[in-house]
Amino acid sequence: MEVLLHDVDVLVPRDLDEALRVLAERRGIKVLAGGTDLLVQMRSGAVQKSDLLDVSGLWELKYVRHEDETIAIGALTTFSEIASSEVIRRHAPVLAEAAETVGSVQIMNKGTIGGNVVNASPAADSLPALYVHDAELKLASLKGTRTVGITEFYRGYKRLDMRPDELLVEVRLRAEKGGEVGHFFKHGLRQGDAISVVNGAVLLDLEGDLVRGAAIALGAVAPTVVRAHEAERALKGRRLREDVMWEAARAVLRSISPIDDVRGSAAYRRELSVNYVFMTLWRIAREVGVL
Amino acid sequence: MVHRIEREFSFVLNGKPVKVRAPPAYSLLEVLRYELRMTGTKEGCARGDCGECTVLIDGEPVHACLTAMTQVEGRRVTTIEGIDPGHPLVRAFVESGAVQCGHCTPGLIVASYALLSRNPRPTEEEVRDAIRGNLCRCTGYAKVVAAVLRAAGA
Ligand SMILES: Cc1cc2nc3c(=O)[nH]c(=O)nc-3n(C[C@H](O)[C@H](O)[C@H](O)COP(=O)(O)OP(=O)(O)OC[C@H]3O[C@@H](n4cnc5c(N)ncnc54)[C@H](O)[C@@H]3O)c2cc1C
Repeated sequence: MEVLLHDVDVLVPRDLDEALRVLAERRGIKVLAGGTDLLVQMRSGAVQKSDLLDVSGLWELKYVRHEDETIAIGALTTFSEIASSEVIRRHAPVLAEAAETVGSVQIMNKGTIGGNVVNASPAADSLPALYVHDAELKLASLKGTRTVGITEFYRGYKRLDMRPDELLVEVRLRAEKGGEVGHFFKHGLRQGDAISVVNGAVLLDLEGDLVRGAAIALGAVAPTVVRAHEAERALKGRRLREDVMWEAARAVLRSISPIDDVRGSAAYRRELSVNYVFMTLWRIAREVGVL
Repeated sequence: MVHRIEREFSFVLNGKPVKVRAPPAYSLLEVLRYELRMTGTKEGCARGDCGECTVLIDGEPVHACLTAMTQVEGRRVTTIEGIDPGHPLVRAFVESGAVQCGHCTPGLIVASYALLSRNPRPTEEEVRDAIRGNLCRCTGYAKVVAAVLRAAGA
């Protein structure tokens, strides 16, 4: 049964200050950004009905900026804006690749990066890219602003280091350095408009075929997105050869704890994780010409 | 009785200014169909999966079912009723046999219309990508893709 929203009030703040004031004063009010998660969840009853604070018109939170070694993305930036941003395509192409796979064109036009982060689905497609880019999240409230690292932000399945009076205002990523090459991967049950069965990101820092640094993150295989530290260790300081790539790919199994659900079994997810990490490493090796 | 909250919203619908009173958390889809009686925009899943309710807001395709009324205030909305029946895209759908039961057709035309406004000569790949969020259970998409390419003069 669909929950009707005829008695839900929606407040529209004039600016960020007013939004923060409302969040501080009105207990239980929920932030509405694109609404592509929240409206579906509220109408299905998965999320309890409550009044809404529609921040989608706060243009001051829609931007992509390149500040020294950092890419700053306003929380209300949509996936269409991210996918077409020159700054992101150049300095965080892994995130641009991920953004292009978020649902359909219609979903990309409304869904925001802030909503993707705070909705906290372990299958959210922007998250692996944010993990390999050591993202930091800027949270604002009337009490001030604080910054939390992405791994600390997620304390467990949909458990966040965020208070109800806080608004996520910015996502900050380390820009890709010279020598770094990376890709996003996603396995859905069909090519377009599908939730990930497994997704992930690989970012290598290479000098020829020598791996100076490696960051690998996987989604939909644990209660939160995880960094595959064992796999990263299997690569660091080694040469990007096929046997090393297989060793690293198999090592991801030590970082993941997938479950069976409607989209796939745990065994299928383990198999996909190993194979996709291998394929992505292989693709990178081919692109830089060491294989 | 649970009370109903209503507010007035003003926006431009297919080029004409409209004012409508509606609950602010109601979707544009509900208001189009049940308040404004504009039933060209179809309701399929009402959860963003099928694309049947695709409309343009300020020229960009979005789901009317996932758009709260507060997100429409002051914006330009284009629905299937706002696309001329003589438009080459509409004619191409008819001439290519891209319409069967017709339920997905308004959403497909609106989504393809947005593509062609931005990119008048898309590749087949670009057409398929632009309509990846529009489900059609009759045509198998081949004739839909052919129609969009035909409208683009390919
Ligand atoms: C058909 C369909 C397909 C989809 N496909 C994908 C997919 O392929 N990949 C994927 O990752 N996701 C997908 N999604 C999920 C969704 O579109 C994304 O998670 C999107 O990024 C959510 O952003 P939003 O702005 O719509 O969030 P909303 O729905 O507005 O909000 C989501 C949650 O975040 C909170 N919130 C939002 N912004 C802020 C903020 N700035 N500060 C504090 N809290 C905030 C809200 O209160 C709510 O709890 C899909 C959804 C649908 C309906």
